[in-house]
Parts: sequence; structure tokens; C-alpha cells
Amino acid sequence: MYDFIGKTFPRHDGVAKATGLVEFTFDIEIPDMLYGRIFKSPYAFAKVRRIDTSLAESLGAVVLTPDSVPDRLFNPRLVSIEEDTFKDWRVLTYTPRYLGEPIAAVAAPSEDLAQRALEALKVEFEEVYEPILDPFKAMAPGARPIHERIVRGRTWVEVRNNVAAELRYSEGDVELEERRSDVVIERRFHVPRRYHVQLEPKGAVCKPEPDGSITVWTTTQTIHNTKILISQVYGIPMSRVNVKKVPIGGGFGSSIHTNLVTLIAVGLCLKSGRPVKLVLTREEDMVHDHVSFEFYMRIRAGATKDGTITFGEFENILDIGAHQVQAYPLLGTALGWFVSLYRWRAVRYYGRSVYTNKVPSCAIRGYGAPEVTWAVETVVDEMAEELGIDPLEFRLRNYRGRGEIFWGQGPTVKSVIRSDGVPELIARGSELIGWRNRGDPRSKTGRYRRGIGVGRGFHTSGAGGPLSGAIIDYSGAIVKVNEDGTVDYITALQDHGGGTLDAHAKIIAEELKIPPSKVRIVWSDTATTVYDVCTHASRGVYVGGEAARRAAAEVRRKVLEYAARILDAVNPEALRVEYDRELDDAVIYVEGAPDRRVTLSEVARIAWQRNWGSISASVSYRATAAPPSFTVYFVEVEVDTETGIVRPVRVVAGADAGTVINPELAAGQLHGGFAMGWSWAVGDEVSYTEDGVPAHRLSVADYKIPTALDLPKPEEFVVLFASTYEPTGPFGAKGLGEAASNPVIAAVANAIYNAIGIRFYEIPITPERVLEALRERG
Amino acid sequence: MLSVNRINTYRIPFTFEYYRPRTLREALEILRSVEGAKVVAGGTDLVVDMKFRRVEPKALVDVSKLEELRYVRLVEDYVEIGSAVTLQELVESEVVRARLPLLWEAVNSMASWQVRNIATIGGNICNASPAADTAPPLLAYGAKLLLTSLDGVREVGIGEFFVGPKRSIIRPDEVLQAIRVPVHPAGYGWSFRKVSRTSFDIAKISVAVLLKVDGGRIRDPRIALGAVAPTPVRARSTERAIESLSLEEALEVGPRFVEGDIAPIDDVRSTAWYRREVAKVLLRDSLRTAYERSLNPGWVHEG
Ligand SMILES: Cc1cc2nc3c(=O)[nH]c(=O)nc-3n(C[C@H](O)[C@H](O)[C@H](O)COP(=O)(O)OP(=O)(O)OC[C@H]3O[C@@H](n4cnc5c(N)ncnc54)[C@H](O)[C@@H]3O)c2cc1C
Repeated sequence: MYDFIGKTFPRHDGVAKATGLVEFTFDIEIPDMLYGRIFKSPYAFAKVRRIDTSLAESLGAVVLTPDSVPDRLFNPRLVSIEEDTFKDWRVLTYTPRYLGEPIAAVAAPSEDLAQRALEALKVEFEEVYEPILDPFKAMAPGARPIHERIVRGRTWVEVRNNVAAELRYSEGDVELEERRSDVVIERRFHVPRRYHVQLEPKGAVCKPEPDGSITVWTTTQTIHNTKILISQVYGIPMSRVNVKKVPIGGGFGSSIHTNLVTLIAVGLCLKSGRPVKLVLTREEDMVHDHVSFEFYMRIRAGATKDGTITFGEFENILDIGAHQVQAYPLLGTALGWFVSLYRWRAVRYYGRSVYTNKVPSCAIRGYGAPEVTWAVETVVDEMAEELGIDPLEFRLRNYRGRGEIFWGQGPTVKSVIRSDGVPELIARGSELIGWRNRGDPRSKTGRYRRGIGVGRGFHTSGAGGPLSGAIIDYSGAIVKVNEDGTVDYITALQDHGGGTLDAHAKIIAEELKIPPSKVRIVWSDTATTVYDVCTHASRGVYVGGEAARRAAAEVRRKVLEYAARILDAVNPEALRVEYDRELDDAVIYVEGAPDRRVTLSEVARIAWQRNWGSISASVSYRATAAPPSFTVYFVEVEVDTETGIVRPVRVVAGADAGTVINPELAAGQLHGGFAMGWSWAVGDEVSYTEDGVPAHRLSVADYKIPTALDLPKPEEFVVLFASTYEPTGPFGAKGLGEAASNPVIAAVANAIYNAIGIRFYEIPITPERVLEALRERG
Repeated sequence: MLSVNRINTYRIPFTFEYYRPRTLREALEILRSVEGAKVVAGGTDLVVDMKFRRVEPKALVDVSKLEELRYVRLVEDYVEIGSAVTLQELVESEVVRARLPLLWEAVNSMASWQVRNIATIGGNICNASPAADTAPPLLAYGAKLLLTSLDGVREVGIGEFFVGPKRSIIRPDEVLQAIRVPVHPAGYGWSFRKVSRTSFDIAKISVAVLLKVDGGRIRDPRIALGAVAPTPVRARSTERAIESLSLEEALEVGPRFVEGDIAPIDDVRSTAWYRREVAKVLLRDSLRTAYERSLNPGWVHEG
């Protein structure tokens, strides 16, 4: 029924990427450019007495200190509305609160000179405090405050007990529901910090323009919020900051906010009056810039004998590190994931975000959903087992599906579920994996034991909703038809490499019935696009794609108007549009009058030649829903009971993403989502030694993520798409990026249980932990 | 105070001289005359250390292109391997595959193709990491190292070469010229096993086993382990304990003794406890494999 949607086309940037021609921030060179380096705090918690810049300056470097940047607190993430934005960051600081926090920066004409100037800076410390690395110690009475006062919105607030933010919520009568329950299970879960391992370490280039404005190229998931933050921090009008969209080597949340490197590069550029490039090394990126959040969760839940879930209680303590990126909103989304997974009749939640002297945490793919889903799916599996009900049956009976209220992204973002592929995915997936024959762990013997587990989850498609709420979420698109009938598509929305913009090009192509190859994706900037909040929350296709579709639909209306004039039809409604394979163009015709036809290219040419004006549209679009994309993973693992090594054997990855626009790229999201989830489940972790130094020390050589050889063979990885249609999405589409990894940890942990009969409440489930647990059990 | 600002992995953050001598003799002369000079081959260990400033040599003497160090030769009853032969060349060498199957098995498991294309066997040995994967097989074979300086050549057994983590008896003015490895003894079974965090990683534990089976009894077992002691080690007491035992007995006895032969520690890759426990498992697995291979003459190169 579609000409382009659901079909595979070459990616618009595929050849350039494969041949190394794409320019990332790192590759940008501007004549006369200086190279920056950041002076990172060697202590996790300290106070600087003075910075002696003279030696560095005598080498010819420009030096930036906390005195040379505005003393203004900010939050690098501008997605919550201002009242809910907690500001505790400075561009450079005299009070470093984590190892690596930027104290000063230098810029010099060569990279080597910049390094020498960096080493020539003399930073004298007044005090070095013992770092607080544990959130429970941070909250204990008498603990040194990491921040005394911060700004919420525009108001100063005191920080007590190092608690950065709090959220409480309750619904229904938990005590009553607990009394009615036949089974009650309470468990504590721990998820460590992890590094995103996005391919591209962060960087920025800032160039002063002759008119006094600045142009910025940087690693970011959001060019507009970067523009706004630079404007706010440096007090420059927004019309004088132009942020260019540059290809980015993966995000996964690591550039969901405006990176400190960007702000420091701007500071160096403003001070020197020269273009400045500042890029982080891999080690700086992973050790000193960002990690994901650390979770300490407690879940208590109940169900009745007939298999109905009654209540859920959830305590969630987040170790956020030394600054807030989105510590408060995450308390809300974590609750949202919890509430929206199952139909709890009563819920009680207490969430706290706690400061520690560690690198600040930011969102990682799923924004809390993989962690919460793992905890909930473990408890749900345990309840089903205790009640003697098949875990799939138990899930089907209790999950939130079509027609129900759903609010993944927090209490202020609610909408009704209109498409739901869970029953189909569970039915087909369980058949493919051989669920019925998975066996009981108690009956499994031998050194190598196999187990099958399920994990069911979802992610929202964006953070829209019928009410405005506490989260900013809208997008925009400009579509214009060139004088030869080709189309320029101009959007601020960033493509992290997953092919989001190829999906948009197809959506536009489908709307206009021209081939996707005629749609040019323009590398735009903030000056020439309308606002888009950010590529996050799996909203790229659902929200951005719908904005593109609406702009294309408006263009289509104009094309039809002009065509009606050309074809002498009574009005545009009399016309039909069709893709003509031979002409490789849209053909507009009068139904029943085959000689009255004109191609879209011809319409464009005539409109130009006869001075009718450009055919174009600019749209700003807010989605009134954030529909869930459901995913169901079935995973088979093999545990070597003598070494504790767990191997993935087979995977059935089921996704309900509505209409699938890019089938191969969507399958790629599931392969990648599994790989990332697998890594979280069994492999990677950032832990710290007592002085606040990450235990993997300073090198990516010791931060291990799986390689192709550590993952299931491609032929053992089955991808299923549910046959659903989301009425609010572009051509029925929903999101996928995060849903693709959300239930993976849960499925892997449940599979390990099915193999060896042991549950793990702490990830990663390393061979060391597995072997220890097996030995303990005896 | 951590020297975080002195590390810069985009550049080697200090300056040094770089020499590429045309002959070994020239290399030895530079090493003798230039203060603070250090040999570099593939640089896959050394350059990483330099970027992190764990070492700051004043000069590098590149031996990777010296033809005198780039050969694999069968000489009577041993194979001589030039120190600058790359790991990938060893993987592709028929002589190594046929005459030193235990070494071949280890090298084939190392790093990635890209790294193997530049990493050398000499670098792996001279880096003296307790986890160097070529060390256990070379220990089991009883390899000899030819250390050359302007004063001449000294031949040392690989067992005397390592003295601690990243420490060996090589002098700053010496070059490891070649490794002499006795050819795989006829009728011996072999096995190399390691576990690491991912398939592309330095070992948490590695085990190399060579043994012969005679009338259902294990003879002349040679066992070496990596990453479980300050240096790669021969498990002498285990070897003595399983001499003349049946496989079943050896599987029972060997693991008990191997504990005494190793001294693992906790580090970023694993824990001492895990290493001890899994060293026993890998030993058992390797004994079984070596035993089977010894009984199956088709597996072993004859003559
Ligand atoms: C990604 C990656 C994966 C790796 N995987 C493995 C693995 O699986 N197993 C493993 O064991 N190692 C592994 N390594 C480590 C490394 O690649 C090997 O140890 C390699 O063999 C080192 O050889 P090289 O030629 O690069 O040595 P270099 O780095 O050039 O030198 C290492 C040391 O030896 C000295 N040296 C080198 N040649 C000589 C010589 N002829 N005479 C005297 N001194 C000399 C140098 O001065 C230096 O101290 C890995 C490294 C990387 C980066």
C-alpha cells in the first residue's frame, strides 16, 4: 500500500560514512584556529586557592579561569520547564566536586603547545576534602555538603543532607491491597554506573564571526537547546549564536544536554577572539565527563492467587554524582516506567537523587527504563513462580495495554494507549524460542546449563501529551520544493547515526509520492531551522517524523493547488497523486481524465516560470501523545557452572514499533539494543576506588563491552515486528531506539535463573559473581 | 595527586627522539650511546604506556623493520623466531602451526587481526606482562631467548627471564634478537586455554599444557600459567604431582597442587579468588584436551 514506507533504500549518508568522508566535529579545521585543553581537577573534592597562569601565558596560550567566565549557575539540560530545572553547574569552578571537574582551560596555536601550556598552569589548592562516594554516606548526618545552595528555576534553595531532589507519589490504598494479596515479594536491586561508549568522544569548535556573533559546531543531540544555553550562560542574544548540526558518532544520552566542552570552547573563543577547537580524549570523555546513573531500588509487590497484581511499592535512590543533569525528571520517569508496566491497584513511591563526589550522571539509553524494567520483571517472574502461573500468562493478565492510561515519561505526561502488539509478540516469540520446553532449573544438571528467560517492556515515543506538563517536547520541519521538483528538507532534529532522518525522508517521499532520493536532508543550523527539543525519548521518528509529514502534507496541498490551475481542474480535490515508477516522479492527474496529468517537477518548474512563488511549508508540531512502543525479548543463555561464564545462545527480539518505516535499520536497533543490554547485564560497570578514581583507571582498554564474537550468531537472532498501527504517528509509526534495549537485562537475568536457579539482584552478573553464587549454594 | 592533566592520548604528550636503524648493530650502538633510549617494535604496549606516561623514554629505537629480526626458521630440533616477527605472521606460519602447535594455539587467540598485524612476539615477551599469552607456551616448550648487545649474545632460558610484573632481566642496551623453541616433542598432547572479559582482551587466567601419555599414564607433564602470579609461571609442584598418574587421578590431584604454584591478585580484570578457582578448571580442561590429543596421533606433527 505504501510506495516507500517499509522498504529498504540506501542511506543518504551511507557511502560517505563507509568511506570516511563524513566530517565530525573532530575533523573541522578553520584557518587560524587555536586548540584547547581543559585543566581537570586532580581531586574529587577540593577548593582552589589560586591559579597562576603566567607561565602558560608566556608560552603563548590564552588561559580561561573561573574569573574569566560569567559566574552564573546553570543546568546543561534544558528540557524540563524552568521551574523544574535545578541549576548547580558552572563553566569552570574553584570548588571541584568530582575528579576531572574543569577548573581552567588553555588554547594555543598547536595541540602540542596547548598540552605544554596546560602542564604549565599552577593550580594551588586551599583544601582537599575526603570525597563522598557513597550516596548513603552522603545523606548521613554530619556529611560535608557537596552543594550548600543551588538554584531551582530562578530561586535559591538550600540543599539538605546532600539530597539533590525528591519525589513522592501514591495512588490507592497500599496497605489494603497488601492485605488482600496472597503473595508479597520484596527485593533490593543495585545498578552501577556505566559509561555510554558512544563512538565519538565529545568536542566543540567555536568561531567568532565578523558581525560579532559566534558559530558553534559540536557533538550534541540538540542544537537549539545548545544555542539557548550558550545564550543564557554568556548573555549573548540568541540571534548571535548559531549552532551548526554536525554528524555525531552515537549519543545514547551522552550528549542529551549541552556538554561542558561546548561552553568552555565558547569561553576560549570569546576570550581569544580566534576560532577554537576543544575535543576530549576518549579517557577524558569516559573518566571525567559523564556516566549513567547508579540505582539503588527496593520493590515490594503483591498478587492474589488468581494471578492479579495488587500493589507495588518502589523506593528509588539515585547516585547522581556531583551535579544535576536530569536528576529530578528521572525520579519522575523511573516512577512512570514502574506505574506503566503493570496495572498496580495501589502504588507508593519514594525517590531521592543524591549528590556524591563522582562524575555527573546523565541519561543512558532508556532513561531508567532498563533498570526499572529489570527490577519489576524479576519480581513479576518471582511472583508468577510462587503462584504457579506461567510467567507469560501472568504478564498478559496484568500489563497495561490498549485503552489504558499510560505515562512513561512521568506524572505530567499521560495519554491513552491506542496500539498494542504485546499479545502477538508473546505468542509468536514464545513459539520461536521454545518457551514450553524451557524446563525447570531444579531439574537441570551438568556443567553447561541452558535457560530461557523473558523480559517485557516498552518505551514512550517522545514526551508529548494533551496537556503541557513539565517537559518541553515539540519539533519542527521545513520542506521546500526546488524549481526542478526535488525537495529540500530542513530540520534541527539530530540523527545519532540510527537513520532517523532517512526515515523522515521516506515519510516526506511517501506524502509527496516522489522517490526518497529526491529528498535532500540539509545539514542545517539553529539560524535556519525552527525549534526541536532534542533527539531523545525515542521521539525522532514519531514526533520529528510527524512534523516532517505535516510539512510535506502542506506542500502537497500547494502542489495540488498549482496543479489544479495547470490542469484546469475545478479545484484541488478533483486531483489524485501517484508515484510513477517510470518517470520516477509524482504524477498528479484528474481521475477519469487520463490526459490531464502533470508531474510534480513540471508543477515546480511552471510555478517558477510563471511567478507563482515557492512551494514550501514550515511546521512546528507538538504531539499530543507519547505512545508506548512495546518490546518482548526471549533470550536463551548457557551458563558454564565451573567458570561462571554466561553465553548468549539465541535471541528472539520482538518489537511493536507500529508501522516499520526502515525495516533493516529497525532490526539494527534491536541487534544494537540487545548488545547494549547484554553488556549492562553481564559486563560493564564504572566503579570507584577510595580517592574517587574510577577503578578501571584511565583507559578504555579496561572498560569492556562485548565484541561481535561475544554476541549471538546472526542466524540465532530473530527479529519480530508486531503488525500494529499507531493512529497518532506518521503513517502509523512509533519509536524504537530505547524500547530496543529496555527489557534486555530482565530477559537475560530471568534466563540465567532458568538455567541455574539463582536470581541476581545486582548487575553486572559477572562470571565472578555467578561462580561465587553457585559455590555459596553448594 | 593524580596527574590527569599530563595524560593526552591524542598525542604522545612529550617529545622524544625516534631512530630507525638499518642494522641490528646500529640499533645496539644507539642503545649504548643514547641516554634513556628504549626499543620499540609494534608499539602496542609501549605507545599505550607512553600516552599514559607510565614511561617517558628520551628516544625510541625502532627494531620492527630489521630484517635480521624478521624470520622463522626450522634449525635441526628447534624453531628460531626473530623477535620482530608479528603475531599474525606466526598465525600464518606453517612451521609454527606444525612444529609448535601449543604456541600457535596461544597466538591465534591473541588480540585482533589488526593488532596482531603490528604486535610482535619480542614485544610480548619483553613487555614482561604476567598475562603475556606467548609466555606459557614458551615456558612449557622450554624456549631460550637470545639477548644481544655490543658485548655479544647471551642465551637465557625463558624461565629465568621474568622477574616481576613488567620486569625482566633484559638490560637497557640489549635487544631480544630471537627465540629458540625446541620443536614440539613427538607424541605429546597440548592445550592452551584462557578466559578473559571479552573475546578481545588480556587474559584473566591462561594455562598451557604439554604432556605425553604412556600406557594410560601421564608422562613429562609441563604446565605453565599466565596472569595468576607476578610473572608467567611453570607449575612445577603440579607437574611432579601428576607424573605417572592416570587422567582421572590427575584431574583430581592437579587442581589441588596448582594452588600452591600460583599467587593471584585482585585487579581490574578479576579477583584472586576467581583466578585461583578457574585456574583449576582450566587446568582440568587442558589436561583433558592434551591427553586426548596425545592419544590421537593424527593431531600431532610427525617427524
Ligand atoms: C587492543 C590490544 C589487545 C591486546 N591483546 C593481547 C592479548 O590477547 N594477549 C597478549 O598477550 N597481549 C595482548 N596485547 C598486548 C600487546 O599487543 C602484545 O604484548 C604485543 O605482543 C606487544 O608487542 P609490540 O611489538 O607491540 O611491543 P612494543 O609495544 O613495541 O614493546 C613492548 C615492550 O617490549 C620492548 N621490546 C620490544 N621489542 C623488543 C626487542 N626486540 N628487544 C628488547 N625489547 C623489546 C619495548 O621496549 C617495550 O618495553 C594487546 C594489546 C592491545 C593494544
